[in-house]
Amino acid sequence: MDAGTVIAGILTLAILTFLYRDNPVYKLAESLLIGVSIGYFLVINWSNTIMDLMFVPLFTQGKLMLIIPLILGLLMFGRFNRKTTVLSRIPIAVLIGSGAGVAIPAMLDARTLQQMSATVTPILAPDGLPNISELVVMAGVITTLIYFYFSREHRGWWGKSATMGTYFLMIFFGTTFAYTVMSRMSTFIGRMEFLLSDFLKLTQ
Amino acid sequence: MTRKIPQIICALFGMTLFLLYFSQHPTARNLNLTILNDYFQIIFAFTLLVGVVSFVKVNLKAFERGEDRSYHLVSVIGVFIMPLLAIIWGIKGDSPFMWVFENIQVPMQATVFALLAFFVASASFRGFRARSVQATILLAAALIMLLSRSTIGDMIADQIPQIADWIRNYPSMAARRAILIGIGLGSLTTSLRVMVGIERTWLGGDK
Amino acid sequence: MKKLESRHYVFLGLFVVILLTMLLNVRLEIRVSPETQKMYNYIDSLPEGSVLMVSFDHEASAVPEIKPLALSILRHAFKKGHKLIGVSLLAEGTGIGYRLMQETAGEYNKVYGRDLVYLGFKPQYIAAILSMGESIPETFPEDYLGRPYTQFPLLDSVKNYDNVAGVISIADGSLTTHWIEYAHARYHVPVTAAVAAVMMTTYDPYISSGQLHAMVGGLRGAAEYEKLLKIGGSGRRGMLAQTSAHLYVIAMIIAGNIVYFLRRNKRVKS
Repeated sequence: MDAGTVIAGILTLAILTFLYRDNPVYKLAESLLIGVSIGYFLVINWSNTIMDLMFVPLFTQGKLMLIIPLILGLLMFGRFNRKTTVLSRIPIAVLIGSGAGVAIPAMLDARTLQQMSATVTPILAPDGLPNISELVVMAGVITTLIYFYFSREHRGWWGKSATMGTYFLMIFFGTTFAYTVMSRMSTFIGRMEFLLSDFLKLTQ
Repeated sequence: MTRKIPQIICALFGMTLFLLYFSQHPTARNLNLTILNDYFQIIFAFTLLVGVVSFVKVNLKAFERGEDRSYHLVSVIGVFIMPLLAIIWGIKGDSPFMWVFENIQVPMQATVFALLAFFVASASFRGFRARSVQATILLAAALIMLLSRSTIGDMIADQIPQIADWIRNYPSMAARRAILIGIGLGSLTTSLRVMVGIERTWLGGDK
Repeated sequence: MKKLESRHYVFLGLFVVILLTMLLNVRLEIRVSPETQKMYNYIDSLPEGSVLMVSFDHEASAVPEIKPLALSILRHAFKKGHKLIGVSLLAEGTGIGYRLMQETAGEYNKVYGRDLVYLGFKPQYIAAILSMGESIPETFPEDYLGRPYTQFPLLDSVKNYDNVAGVISIADGSLTTHWIEYAHARYHVPVTAAVAAVMMTTYDPYISSGQLHAMVGGLRGAAEYEKLLKIGGSGRRGMLAQTSAHLYVIAMIIAGNIVYFLRRNKRVKS
């Protein structure tokens, strides 16, 4: 068995000790995980982005305009000093503004209008008769949206619609819960497969 | 002034990228690429570096104070060891950098998430009760789904996966779609408020 | 040693159930769902030599669930003779994606640079997705190991999404949403996904609206895909344990409710 498998097996067991209760072995493994994860992230971010997109084009290809984002990036470090912290607002402004600018068309088109269109369009089946399942979808979308509309009191027919909306939400939460169980069990099964087959050699 | 200038920059970048979305002109597309690649991407990469520096500072301070020294020390060593390995041996498939990633980081992180399997099972026993109509609906939907996505569901009756697929594709999807539309409208208005300067919380509290 | 609590017994029960079923090593027969079949048909129906972009948008925590899925998709794509460009929008997915592509390319004797290239990671995912729509070489001037984009014959004709048949997002979170809302909406590139089971219901509205072309998810999805490919793998091996774990959770829910109703009746009577 190679050293990597032994270490991975021991560390896996160290993390599993948390199931009994929080303990020093788990804490030590957790601290190592946090440190190594950040170190890994630092390397990938540096080599794949800062070098690729900035230092290489700036210093080897002479793209001098990149000095501006370099300065803006460095201004972010102003956050470490109370006196210079206002400087970091400028790069943050670029990020927030850019994020908002690209989000508007995406949110309007892909997330809102296309979803609304997909709710209304299939209501009539090709034979001209209403499609019952699609009517359920339409009722679900409208009543759930009513439930999330808090500017009007949930009373009368409005309140009944909101209650109907909660039933649809519960179906969604129940479905999502089942898929969450599925996901978490898969992850544990994957780790057990490693322990039983690679680490302990009990299965093939 | 320290608030006005960032607001103007924010509005300028926001409006520019918003308008560029609709243009197919080569100049517009070039400008779009420049802003996304040279500004958005690079500045974002620097913000992540700020996060790393901040993490090291916090841990070193805690170490100085003598709180859980061994844990903080291990974390800081972890942060420095990875760049060191990358500088000396690179990041290729057979490098020590990848060895640490594959034999320390991946198994531990996956196991931390695998712990959730146990907590989900425990929550099923302790919290999943049919106290009301809503809770009963939630319970029924979960049970049908759990059954259908295990092979037992297929074995009991062909109808179980069909019913489960219908529930997922229609009523469940409808609620998710409503949530999605709600988030879409919320994000849209927040983005507009940020661009026109009504929403200024991102500037922080100081003057 | 402190006294064990009720949760410890629930934990122990689950551990024993999964351990025993995994030691049994029995392979269950499974039904292929329409959604997995659709994903399979999509990759199968693309003309040989199509260029696909595979994005590893997941973290290390999801590897046990995502790896069998990713392996199946990559094997299918290589088997069909498609050419793959790997990218990653999450740092941890970068190393994992690189390793998975290397492993599967080796199985099918694929040559790096001609049949596959791994471009690596960019941190701001929205900016990365949008800027690749303008120019992939400007977004990734070098591959993951720092070799220039222009060095690889596969990338000669790949300038942006217009030269890519589709994007496959392998994700454990919401990053597929950004591929749908930015790459598909703005540049009309078909997007498909292989996701952790927990995210499947999140993407259902996009499947229904056609914005997400096809999706396969979870260990069950991997098992179904392995069945379609007629290969063995972690997905099919894990199905007995998965089924038992589901039954265990169902039993826990029922047991919890029996306890609840018994206590409630007792309270009402007293």
